[in-house]
Amino acid sequence: MTAWLEIKDLKASVDDKDILNGLNMTVNEGEVHAVMGPNGAGKSTLFNVLCGNPHYRVTGGEVLFKGKNLLDMSVDERAHEGVFLAFQLPVEIPGISMATFMKYALNAGRRAKGMKDFDAVGYMKHVKVRSKALGVTDEMLKRPVNVGFSGGEKKRMEMFQMAVLEPSLCMVDEMDSGLDVDALKVVADAINVMRAADRSFMLISHNRRFLESVGVDKVHVLVKGKVVKTGGRDLLEELTSFAAYQEAE
Amino acid sequence: MADVSKTVSAPLYSDGAESIRAEAGRTAVVVDRAPAAKCSVVVEKGASLLHYRFCGGTDAAVDAVVEEGGKYEVLTLQTAGGNVGMTVSLAGSGASCRSDAVYVLSGGEKGSFVSKVAHNADDTVSSQLIKGAVAGTAEETFEGTVLIPPGHKGIDGAQQHRALLLSPTATVMAVPRLEIYSDDVKCAHGSAVGDLDEYQLYYLQTRGIGEEEAKKVLVGAFLNEVTDGIFDETLKAEFAKRIEAALPF
Repeated sequence: MTAWLEIKDLKASVDDKDILNGLNMTVNEGEVHAVMGPNGAGKSTLFNVLCGNPHYRVTGGEVLFKGKNLLDMSVDERAHEGVFLAFQLPVEIPGISMATFMKYALNAGRRAKGMKDFDAVGYMKHVKVRSKALGVTDEMLKRPVNVGFSGGEKKRMEMFQMAVLEPSLCMVDEMDSGLDVDALKVVADAINVMRAADRSFMLISHNRRFLESVGVDKVHVLVKGKVVKTGGRDLLEELTSFAAYQEAE
Repeated sequence: MADVSKTVSAPLYSDGAESIRAEAGRTAVVVDRAPAAKCSVVVEKGASLLHYRFCGGTDAAVDAVVEEGGKYEVLTLQTAGGNVGMTVSLAGSGASCRSDAVYVLSGGEKGSFVSKVAHNADDTVSSQLIKGAVAGTAEETFEGTVLIPPGHKGIDGAQQHRALLLSPTATVMAVPRLEIYSDDVKCAHGSAVGDLDEYQLYYLQTRGIGEEEAKKVLVGAFLNEVTDGIFDETLKAEFAKRIEAALPF
């Protein structure tokens, strides 16, 4: 297995407050990693820094994705390389339908690869297979992006976008929070279906059952902006509380 | 609008019209791509008039009278400087008016949209949705008066104005004004001027859409709310095309 994502001594701050304090992590091609830790440990910050969210300032360290310097790239360039974030709180965009939004996104990615835009038929084919598989109705595709969607529907739409864009690094930020059992199954199924030898996942979650149903390969515990422990899936069993790690800090 | 689309086969193009009259009981659709400095409009008893105006670079005022039970819907697009005006008198009982507008200014353009809707009869209804985007060092002034003289009942008036500033040096001056001298009145108004939502912009970029295109998509989505209701697809596309051409990116 080759290293897909290599994070070395990553430091980042927001509003002059240090959040990541020398974080190290390696995610290999095709692996599924769980990112756990207490609130405020920097889990969501890590995902946003990897995506290039301008709100966060990188103050040190290095991130290589497929051997390329990720931190030098703009947000959309990272997406073209295959980086994807499923948002914990997806943003509402009135005035543009999900179908149109995804068309812009797909074609931007195709153009970056020197390909021609999808024609209408090719696009509909690409979308329909995925919307059907994820239980996304035509009506949901016509509605403005995330407007008036329930929490479960929003997360289903995040999974749908992930399926449409076919990224190679899927970061999934607390998809399980606030979801009932059925909605949670949609998210877990989507991840399981998309698992592939050339696609890695990083999942932020507090939900052991969710992580077990997805079948994680590795578990990282983040405390105060650092990885304090990394283990296999058996670490899930041991993690009843983060208190021990916090005290060790 | 749906009922109107059944009775109207095609819009009538009447560039530079100085007077428009919708005859009693009839429905008319008029598109003006080069509005005159002054245009008188009469909507006779029970008539409906849909009036679309593409303004830019010159002054263009409308002076409209809506008679009993008449319905006047006017949509103005302003894509360059100049003074655009609108005076509507709801002169007969049951008369209604919807006077929406979109403005897009860039560079050093200076423009204004001044409207005055007078409820001069009982049971009259008016609504107004104005949305704009201003870039560069451009300046727009929106002045909207809803006048309800004494002695009228059953009045319903609504006015909304929203604008996006696309550069730190762009200016929008908004003067919404309700002048209410009657008691049995329902009136609502609001005005807000702000920047593009950074979180929305980031969300689009994480899907691979470049910054410039993402801004274009978001501003388009914002302004779309006004033009979404246009029943004629060709006309709606012309609005979209002109708006896109007027945007600075």
